[in-house]
Amino acid sequence: MEVRPIDDDRLLETFVELADTLTDDFDVIDFMHLLVDRCVELLDVDAAGLLLADQNGRLRLIANSDEQVRLLELFQLQSDQGPCLDAFRTGTRVSHPDLAVAGGRWPRFAAAAVDGGFAAVDALPMRLRGEVIGALNLFRTNAGELTDKALRTATALADVATVGLLQERAIRNQEIVTEQLQTALNSRIVIEQAKGLIAERLGIDMGGAFAALRGYARSRNLKLSEVARAVVAGTTGTHDLLGTPALTNRSKM
Amino acid sequence: MSGHGGANPLARAGSWVADHAAALGEPVSIGLLCETAVDRLDVSGATLTVDPGSGWPETRYATDALGAGLAELQLTVGEGPCVDAERGGGPVLVTDLDAPGTQLRWPLFTPLAVDAGAHALFAFPLCVGAIRAGVLALHRAQAGSLEPAKLTDALALAGLALRLLLDEQADRRAGSADRADGLPLHDPQVHQATGMISGQLGVGMEEAFARLRARAFAGQRPLAELAADVVARRLRFEPTEDTT
Repeated sequence: MEVRPIDDDRLLETFVELADTLTDDFDVIDFMHLLVDRCVELLDVDAAGLLLADQNGRLRLIANSDEQVRLLELFQLQSDQGPCLDAFRTGTRVSHPDLAVAGGRWPRFAAAAVDGGFAAVDALPMRLRGEVIGALNLFRTNAGELTDKALRTATALADVATVGLLQERAIRNQEIVTEQLQTALNSRIVIEQAKGLIAERLGIDMGGAFAALRGYARSRNLKLSEVARAVVAGTTGTHDLLGTPALTNRSKM
Repeated sequence: MSGHGGANPLARAGSWVADHAAALGEPVSIGLLCETAVDRLDVSGATLTVDPGSGWPETRYATDALGAGLAELQLTVGEGPCVDAERGGGPVLVTDLDAPGTQLRWPLFTPLAVDAGAHALFAFPLCVGAIRAGVLALHRAQAGSLEPAKLTDALALAGLALRLLLDEQADRRAGSADRADGLPLHDPQVHQATGMISGQLGVGMEEAFARLRARAFAGQRPLAELAADVVARRLRFEPTEDTT
């Protein structure tokens, strides 16, 4: 497998963006999408997903680079099994270079991952000292180990994002942190409702609907949740979402 | 999971309200839920307002006159924590209504609320994505935070209130039915299906969600299973069909 070099300028820009959490309009969903999208863009990984713990210490899906990985993350949560959960519970990296033979460790997850077209996984805890707030999952369609450099870069990105988020949480009080997380969890539902409406109106699948939503949000520099809300409210027409630059990522259902 | 221990907060809140109801020999209701909130959360009062779809919230239950007055006041001046919670879809937790920042945010509401005797107000929207069923508001005569454990319990009681209101909506449509589906709000396909039905019928998310649930009750099928059929395009909802 050919290893793509990491774009250093883009990487630097990403670190700066991930450290910049103290803005007035900070949005947890967009912040975490930044992390998963840049992992896919900069590293040799094909998809990424991110889970954060809620108030009760339960992991919840916050961001995913595409629909396939979203389903797989949800499957982990539902079946209570998989590398992301292990990384969260142990606070250490959990990797598997060949999911086709990982059935002994995570029977249901490994089967679902292979079914979804994934061959290898690296799950990194979102951790600062003793505190683990979530986990980042990186998936690849080819078996094999992630290169050392990619792994170090991914770990650094996850660390910076964790510090950014914890710094944000520390500076704001408990009330604001709760408001943000709960609002983000509800926004995820609005996004699902909007995807359903878009899929129905445009006759496309959920992956395509998500790509359309995100393409529109990005090209206009809007928050994903804002666009979803506008689509549900009817102030942004579903057909307006078309004609925005298509995503180059995998977006199959 | 993950060593955070303790029962599921939603289940615990449910047993509190059920115990309260059993002690009084009454069925579980919104009113009892509000009374339970006051007993358990160390707040002065609890108020539940519902949005009947007109955009004008109605007070369904208030444990004290102050709570009813705060709801009325926000309706009158058109601003306040409950208004923002309903709009934004996330809780609005105000630990000091008399703080300068709070006064700046709601200049009309806060002086009147403080005069009336409220110093902290915690508003929890009862919502499923874009669907807004109402707001649970907890107030206190003293300023200060809800302690973290109480905040978790307040969120659970709000989740329970949401389920009670959604069940009422479904009852109006399909008649009282078995609630064995447990309302799997963590299942994204339920929300995707709601969005698709909204497009198929040309109705809002609330109506689409109620139709989906009514169909599940009528066919005695789990909601998640029906939702999966809608998302896979094995099932369509037709505008003309009679859903009762």
